[in-house]
Amino acid sequence: MPNAILDPTGRADVATTVPAPAAAFELAPRQPDPSGLRIGLLNNTKHNAALLLAEIGDVLAADHAMSVTIAETKPNFAAPAPADLVERFRLECDVVVTGVGDCGSCSASAVADGIVFERAGLPAAVICSDAFAVTASAMAELRGAPGYQYLLTEHPVAVLDADQVRQRAKRLAPEVVAMLTQPSSQ
Amino acid sequence: MTVLDPDAAQAAIEHCYEQGWSDGLPLVPATQPLVDKFLATTGRGPDEEIGRLPQLDRVVTVRLAAINAVMAGCRPEYFPVVLAAWEALTCERTTGGGGWQSTSGPAPLIVINGPVRTELGFNCAGGVFGPGFRPNATVPRAIGLIVRNVYGIHPHELEQATQGLPGRWSICVAENEEESPWAPLASEAGLPDGASAVSATLLRTCEFVDNRHTSSAEQLLGDFADTIGRTGSWIFEHAQAGIVFCPEHAQLLAAAGYDRAHVRTWLAEHSGRRTSDLAAVGKDRLDGRLRLPGDGEPATEFQHTLPSDDRRNLLIAVAGARNAGISMVVRLFADWSGAAVQVTGPDAAGDHSAEEAQ
Repeated sequence: MPNAILDPTGRADVATTVPAPAAAFELAPRQPDPSGLRIGLLNNTKHNAALLLAEIGDVLAADHAMSVTIAETKPNFAAPAPADLVERFRLECDVVVTGVGDCGSCSASAVADGIVFERAGLPAAVICSDAFAVTASAMAELRGAPGYQYLLTEHPVAVLDADQVRQRAKRLAPEVVAMLTQPSSQ
Repeated sequence: MTVLDPDAAQAAIEHCYEQGWSDGLPLVPATQPLVDKFLATTGRGPDEEIGRLPQLDRVVTVRLAAINAVMAGCRPEYFPVVLAAWEALTCERTTGGGGWQSTSGPAPLIVINGPVRTELGFNCAGGVFGPGFRPNATVPRAIGLIVRNVYGIHPHELEQATQGLPGRWSICVAENEEESPWAPLASEAGLPDGASAVSATLLRTCEFVDNRHTSSAEQLLGDFADTIGRTGSWIFEHAQAGIVFCPEHAQLLAAAGYDRAHVRTWLAEHSGRRTSDLAAVGKDRLDGRLRLPGDGEPATEFQHTLPSDDRRNLLIAVAGARNAGISMVVRLFADWSGAAVQVTGPDAAGDHSAEEAQ
């Protein structure tokens, strides 16, 4: 009997013997009427992210009587949002807008954050550059939320000037509202 | 006498491809008896955790590193070098963050010092960046396989390199200590002279500087300063670099009174571009940490590439043949830890910690 070929991933057992993740992923409950919702903005430090989020916040405030009550910057764009940050958002806002996923690790990380916020009961709208859709979706799967929906915006984002960022924010705002208020098709 | 069975070997190699374990080249299928030989070369326990990526929730153990080192084509006695190289890379800030997933697709640079070079047959001389030497080729490949298989970072998925770079998992040079005028790189990091050790960082590319006809140390250094100051590789306020000097260049500099520290001081002062040069490529203005287009003023102001002459901003090693004045500037992905990690055998359990000079 020849020797078995060893698996180099450390996950062979996980794949074959564990049937399914313990808790299936479910989105946070949505309130259909956006008016009065408090918005949290989480900027992941990528260029133009802060401006894009702030502009979206302005549009949501003007058009839907929402208000930005917390805005923070991620300490490390590649790492998951720390628990204390998630807790602050949970206490101070009702919905979260985060991004921009515009690099190899931060796109995946932004989706991971969105899933964390949803699990904490906060509807989230994650914005990613469309060049990073594959890695963003791969992260959703890794986090036990295959098919998790996020918003794609046309690549590139970093080269846009301030006016172009504002236009982009206007285009995205209705999609953000829909994602934060509709029970979604996922 | 063992009868070799190439048909069985081919089937096993194909099996490894089918599992998605390969970096594109054939793998050595790992079996328990061979992995046990690897594990016997280290005093570290097979279940010891040696790496973790929080965003992916994945953990590297000594055992998994050994399986991947087998598959990379290492011999068992290389395994302590693989472990030291991995540990030196974990000292890099970016390898615990988004480095392995980056659009930059950075490559480890692994530098070997000490007796282990000759004991294991590492190339430190001619063609040191090239192929032909099993330890130089398989140690960095083992690192790449750990990232691929244990962290699960595959190209086009969690790995998002825009173009990557040639030789991503194959840049491993031994220092040519015999023909270097300076102390070994690991000694500069604070390890005892004669220690077998590994230093490592992440690179974005390598660029040659060919200068065979000047006898002036300052003309030679000026050639390096021009390459280090190149705008294309400069995206933040400053950029770190490294130089793998050929023996001829290192000896010319040493003969003129330059040690590593003096070389760094000279290059920190002279590497850069005027604001007008940076304006011409849209990189003259700082906004936070990024370089963006500005107004190009003051035009004659000289902006320095390196943040300072700290050794962590300019890694200097010596490798290659003594047959020509051809050296390599290497482009650091981010800041370098400056650490060198001692290579330890099976009797050194618990004594493998990274040495840090600063």
